[in-house]
Amino acid sequence: MSRALAAALLLAALPAAAAQTPAPPPAATAPATPALERLAQAVATDVRAMKPEAPVALHLSGGAPELRRAFGTLLASRLASAGLAPVVLEAPSPEAAESLAREQGARALVRLGLSVEAGELRARGDAFGTWVNFWSGRTATRAPSPAAAIAQAVEADAAALALAAVEPPRTPTPAPEEPRPLRLLGAVLARLPSPPAALAAGDLDGDGKDEVAVLTAHAVHVFTAEGNLLTERSLDVLPPGSAPTREPFGALAILSGPPRLAAWSTRFAHGEMLTLENGALRGVSRLEAVPLGPDARGAFVPGQTAFAPEVRLGHGEQRLAVTSRFTTFSAAHSRVLLVHPEGSASFFSQPSVAPVPLSGLGAGSALGDLDGDGTPELLTTSPELQPSPDVLRVFKTDGSETTSHEPLWQGPLPSGRALYVVTANLDGDKRREVVVGLTKPDGTGELFLLRQGAP
Amino acid sequence: MTLRHALASLLLLGAPSTLAAGRIPYGGELRVAHTGPAEPGEPALADSPLEATLLGLLSRPACHLAPDGHLSPALARELSRPAPQVVRLTLPSPAQATALARAWVRLASNEAPSPYRALLFPLRGEGRMLSPTGDTLELPLGFPWPDMERALCHPALAPPRSVPAALGPFSATSANTVDARLAWSQGRPYLDRVRLQATDERGLSRLWSNQEAQVALGVQTDAGTPSGAALYATYLAWSPRRVPPDFRQAVESALDREDLTRLFVRGPAVPMPNLLPPALLPVSPGARPTPPPAPRTGRKVTLVYDAGNEDQRAVAERLQVRLHDRGYAVALERLPRAELRTRWARGEYELMLHSLLLPPVPGPALAVVLDAAGRKDLLGVELPRIGALADAAARDTRARERALALAPSVPMLPLYAQGLALRAVPEVGGLVFDAQGLPMLDGTWLQPAVTGVPGARR
Repeated sequence: MSRALAAALLLAALPAAAAQTPAPPPAATAPATPALERLAQAVATDVRAMKPEAPVALHLSGGAPELRRAFGTLLASRLASAGLAPVVLEAPSPEAAESLAREQGARALVRLGLSVEAGELRARGDAFGTWVNFWSGRTATRAPSPAAAIAQAVEADAAALALAAVEPPRTPTPAPEEPRPLRLLGAVLARLPSPPAALAAGDLDGDGKDEVAVLTAHAVHVFTAEGNLLTERSLDVLPPGSAPTREPFGALAILSGPPRLAAWSTRFAHGEMLTLENGALRGVSRLEAVPLGPDARGAFVPGQTAFAPEVRLGHGEQRLAVTSRFTTFSAAHSRVLLVHPEGSASFFSQPSVAPVPLSGLGAGSALGDLDGDGTPELLTTSPELQPSPDVLRVFKTDGSETTSHEPLWQGPLPSGRALYVVTANLDGDKRREVVVGLTKPDGTGELFLLRQGAP
Repeated sequence: MTLRHALASLLLLGAPSTLAAGRIPYGGELRVAHTGPAEPGEPALADSPLEATLLGLLSRPACHLAPDGHLSPALARELSRPAPQVVRLTLPSPAQATALARAWVRLASNEAPSPYRALLFPLRGEGRMLSPTGDTLELPLGFPWPDMERALCHPALAPPRSVPAALGPFSATSANTVDARLAWSQGRPYLDRVRLQATDERGLSRLWSNQEAQVALGVQTDAGTPSGAALYATYLAWSPRRVPPDFRQAVESALDREDLTRLFVRGPAVPMPNLLPPALLPVSPGARPTPPPAPRTGRKVTLVYDAGNEDQRAVAERLQVRLHDRGYAVALERLPRAELRTRWARGEYELMLHSLLLPPVPGPALAVVLDAAGRKDLLGVELPRIGALADAAARDTRARERALALAPSVPMLPLYAQGLALRAVPEVGGLVFDAQGLPMLDGTWLQPAVTGVPGARR
């Protein structure tokens, strides 16, 4: 991700900038106050509570430099408003910051480590007075007060994630082939008024970045790369289906040339082809085949959250050799993945060759090139019916280097059932981001974004 | 590393015997044993929690209330308010609209009198003049009644299962088997089939212990036995013209509700000192015992009770003993429930035990109780005052206050409230109760078989 994009996201997150843009609809929005603002406020409250003497030095460690700088700026602003005359220190370690703070005449030091973990933006550390008793001599003894431990966390958002994901500048020596370890950081991208029934990502407006489309039981929502609701369209004008499913289920695909959105919820008798015009979705035609992907069509198993074992590819009648029903379809770089209800899967390296049988996959599975090497990775959630917590795992689908049976990356997901996963190009680079559709315990939905973090 | 090797790592991470790829599995047959009748009657009479559960497999009311109060359509595709004083139901077809209207008109008429007609009292004409237009049923209200939709979710307002247009999540394929209905508007159940077995208490224990039933409905409660909200309320009603004025005092002084729920009533039951069950009106402690009136002998009364309700028989016999000490010679008469309701409607009784499945909303529940107590005249006074409050919590509070205030003036004493308890084997998933306290069998599923864990039961 470029620094410019990170800065743009940060600016978009600031209240002043937000105030100039129209308020997004309440149905599907991220938290109103940016995560960095909320965390800075919480930490500033903690620091003020210990009643330190000004000036107060700040030292931040962990996370990407951009994240540290942005948080330092906001926290310093809060502390300055409280009359604590903050000074942000650049020191190689928290230990070194103590002597540096004394050298610069600070009367208190706040040392914090920043991280984005499990969808939370966290600040943890301590704060203490730097005053040294004259009678201690050369030994820098600590004063009894002020002293406090600080541990605050807020739900991360896309802006915080963008800052946390900023790469450090590359060294001039070219090392393009050096594999970079996969490390995903997650944050809430958007909230949904009802659980997702299908996800898709693609560039609907031609700006070079993907939009994220979400099908719920009765509507289609389209979100920008920043998680703002671009538009939504109710499907209730469609006739009711003859065999709906108890849980929201359907199919959604973004088709190219020109960009169109094909949506079909099992609540309705047929699907609808939509286009994005002037920021709104407009129905253009009726769908008779279930859109499994941009170039794949299938059919529902009546009344069940599954697709019938029939997949037609492309414009012709090429059929995929599928023998049993499946709950998930994903295709990337001419590879196809089908996940079956009992947690097994069929992986086609080419549509024309026999599939490789897999097991242990969750319904939230997708193929997508996360590391930008031109080969899609396989992403999958937990295969259990009710995992706690659900875990997203990333596997290679091809490899020539070392033999490894471990996933490239795995990490826990927020609470809820993660039944939908899609990859998207949200920032225009080669590496795709991951969007997970969660059904929350309270009956709402959530889009959870995972993107490459700084190493 | 080959593609196959790279992907083989996935194989190591799964435990295939318990996997479902995160999605609820479909299929299977659920064996349910119960102590209810083999064929429940019409909705207004099949009003015990167990009968309402069985009936709900085949015929559902317009809507459904979740425990958190969320209302969702059931038989109706949609409930809306095109105007503040009009509730509009959109049914799957004109046949359902007609069936629902007929069922409600019958309930409100003298053809099949039922205290559940009070749920329709806020409708203009009390629901006697409903006529659908196509698949739409418009319900004009006689006065503001924001709880109308929630009241319409009551199981007694479902069409009778004998009507061809009745719809539920299952359809009957034989006397004791129901199959998932693919076209059920809220989505077909996960199970393919439910096999029902009616039995008595001993049979229920035997079927459960022999692992011949996966779900046992209507069991006695032990610690940890799941049970629904106790909204099946039983009252002692009397005809004021046929018993002495101090009868209430005599019964109150003779009555020990704790005693009834502990020794005479089976299943989960709680004493009910107020007109509304504790689930709707929390019991305030410290009620003073009523002093007994001066005993006089020679007063003969007849207590009629429901022949299909074993708990009522036990309670009637207990009341017979207790009232004897207060100078009442109580004759017991058991009647079929339909006959009991007819007697109630005509006022032809001296004492009557009344069991009612109250809606989980205080306002509509109070309406049913007042009508059952023979004070239908109060509905036109009390309900508009409750319905005038826009805030749901305020309406609930007002209904509770009125229940307390009106209790001394209605010829009916609350006795106890019951819920439905069940046992289920661990592989039955998704078994939850709705706001009415009824288990939602259409939402259950059978977990994938777990190998090596022989049938531990909860």
